[in-house]
Amino acid sequence: MDPKIIADLHKFYPEIVITGTFLLVIVADLVFGRLRRAVTFALTVLGLAAAFALTLPLFGAAPGTMFSDMVALDPMALFFKAFLILASLLVVLAAPGSRELSGSGLGEFYALLLGVTLGMILLASSTDLLMLFLSLEMVSVGSYIMVGYLRNDRQSNEASLKYLLFGAVSTGVMLYGITLLFGVTGSTKLIVIRHALAGAATPGENSLILLVSTLFILAGLGFKIAAVPFHFWCPDVYTGAPTPVTAFLSVAPKAAGFAILVRFFFTGLSQAGQGLTWITFASINWMPIVMVLSIVTMTFGNIAALRQENMKRLLAYSSIAHAGYILMGAVVLTSDGLQAVLVYLITYLFMNLGAFMIVIEIYNRTGSFELKDYRGFYRRSPFLSVSMSVFLLSLMGIPPLAGFFGKLYVFAAAVNRDLAWFAVIGALNSVVAVYYYARVMKTMVIDGGDETSPVHASWDSTALIWVMLIPTVGLMLFWDQVQKITSGSVGLFLGN
Amino acid sequence: MIGLTHYLVISAALFSLGIMCVLTRKNAVSVLMGIELILNSANLNLVAFSRFTSGNLDGQVFAVFTIIVAAAEVAVALAIVLSMYRMLRSVNLDRADTLKG
Amino acid sequence: MNANLVSQILFYFFAVLTVGSAAVVVFSRSLIYSIFGLLFTFFGVAALYVFLGADFLAATQMVIYVGGVLVLLLFGVMLTHKLYNLDLKTETFQFVPALLLIVAVFGVLLLAMTRATWFSGGVRPPEPTTAEIGKMFMREYILPFEVASVFLLIALIGAAMIVRRRAQ
Repeated sequence: MDPKIIADLHKFYPEIVITGTFLLVIVADLVFGRLRRAVTFALTVLGLAAAFALTLPLFGAAPGTMFSDMVALDPMALFFKAFLILASLLVVLAAPGSRELSGSGLGEFYALLLGVTLGMILLASSTDLLMLFLSLEMVSVGSYIMVGYLRNDRQSNEASLKYLLFGAVSTGVMLYGITLLFGVTGSTKLIVIRHALAGAATPGENSLILLVSTLFILAGLGFKIAAVPFHFWCPDVYTGAPTPVTAFLSVAPKAAGFAILVRFFFTGLSQAGQGLTWITFASINWMPIVMVLSIVTMTFGNIAALRQENMKRLLAYSSIAHAGYILMGAVVLTSDGLQAVLVYLITYLFMNLGAFMIVIEIYNRTGSFELKDYRGFYRRSPFLSVSMSVFLLSLMGIPPLAGFFGKLYVFAAAVNRDLAWFAVIGALNSVVAVYYYARVMKTMVIDGGDETSPVHASWDSTALIWVMLIPTVGLMLFWDQVQKITSGSVGLFLGN
Repeated sequence: MIGLTHYLVISAALFSLGIMCVLTRKNAVSVLMGIELILNSANLNLVAFSRFTSGNLDGQVFAVFTIIVAAAEVAVALAIVLSMYRMLRSVNLDRADTLKG
Repeated sequence: MNANLVSQILFYFFAVLTVGSAAVVVFSRSLIYSIFGLLFTFFGVAALYVFLGADFLAATQMVIYVGGVLVLLLFGVMLTHKLYNLDLKTETFQFVPALLLIVAVFGVLLLAMTRATWFSGGVRPPEPTTAEIGKMFMREYILPFEVASVFLLIALIGAAMIVRRRAQ
């Protein structure tokens, strides 16, 4: 075997630990009889925590690639590894408390979640289109199964089938785009693709085929981040899936999708320009395409969210809108923009997961996702109502909550690149978004409901909600660290 | 002489037919067949490029992985279709409408 | 010269077979005809792989697509029976716009492909590929190879989990 593979193996410990845990959980689910719920849970939590701990020491390693340029080890990849493992860990902690999942054995759920996590961290660090395709499919197939986890629930099955058919078509189209790119550049390695495009004989050569190929690949990536017009699956899947899975899908695979979108466009289809900016090639100027995608996504998401009566659907459209804001950070093609993407994702992780945790807890107690059943909830449970309001205010982008900083960084990045109009569109969208978030708060706090029996959240959900609440409120106190981590993580390995 | 373009035309035709199938069919199994057509067209591209342009086997190896992914996807898809069928006694996508977009 | 002519005739035969049976898959009203159309498409593509000197891939195509995927699809149809002559009513509604769209896509693809300057790294002579592909799996492609095994395990567990129902 290639000695470099052995030498690199210690940089691959997080992935190896997750794979090992994945296998252990499968076996433990079969071996332990009555104890298996506790054992599989403990194994999953320990495995993910160990993988997280093993990721941190790698931050000092020299940027490079591993396994014949299949995956990159650079600050960006490491940031997303830590981020995605953390997101999975939080969802695992929320799973046992959910009433929806309580009927079925959770061992397979944990195993699938670990498999998807492995796929996500590979996806976030892929520097080869084969690796991109394979790990994207791994994330997708695992997600389809997790969405259909409630075997006897019709909605869950329907959502799963829709998700699978949409997903398979868009990744199929993406694959076709990849083959065209392979034909033009002769390689599937992003770095070689960039060199091939930079060395074009005449500027603008092959522009039509590259446009077709980019649009096709964007279909697959857009599906993963639920960008309009590849979002059709999103509201149905988010509604039909068990809520912990919805919470997971709205954060983790979406973040992994952004990671690979950024990596694909920055290391494959653009080159370093002056200062900390990137420039696109004459043959394929993808910037306006992604810009339109960003504007359409945020506008559509916000407008569609206005008339939703179901909390899961409302949060689904809200997450579509947030994908639009995050894309805005990526498309300005500067280091500031990339940093804004990372900042936004950190804040989004806590506020969005937090909102979903409360939806889960309210469902556990009342059995409803409908907004009308949230009426007068303040009198039933002040804690849940107030913390929900905090998460919603943060999703709106009200200072000094975490969500404000995400939006601030994204808009500032656009303004710095002389795209003030773009930032204005984003700001207008945030104004529209205030309406539907505030409507939920009004329903919970001001409206009077018929039901007045008090609702007590269980101790474990309360603890988890606090885990989300503290960063959402207090992130600004640690802004130096956030600033340092994110600005240190924008580095992409661009080849030697 | 048969060249690259011949294969690309076939693959473009297969791709378009696959998309057509996906767009017009309501039956889940038929949509899956359309997806198989798309994946086969992509594979044909990969092998053709591997033969005529890149001069190495990278494209063919990629195609092997595509086949693996396609097989796994179909297995999962049919498991879901079967599970749904037991519930609905039909695999028509139109009937899967408790979730309204 | 004669052998060349024969191979050209064979190529066109398989090309027509592939695209024609794919059209059957798409336009046939009966699901069972569609599946048989797909069978011939898979065969045709495998034959084209042989023309391209991809012997290993041709064999894989036969074993996995014809032997695996197609059988799975057939099982799917049989187990969810009464679908042989399912009337696809809503189809005609979208048929014409979809056809126009597809003709446009095909046209753009052809235009883009004929205009493109493809990479020129040399033509690979038609030699046996299996040994070399095997070595590549163990060298450059070791990571995807391992990841694919985990991927298959996920699909396996998932499919088994979905189909196996709890006793109600």
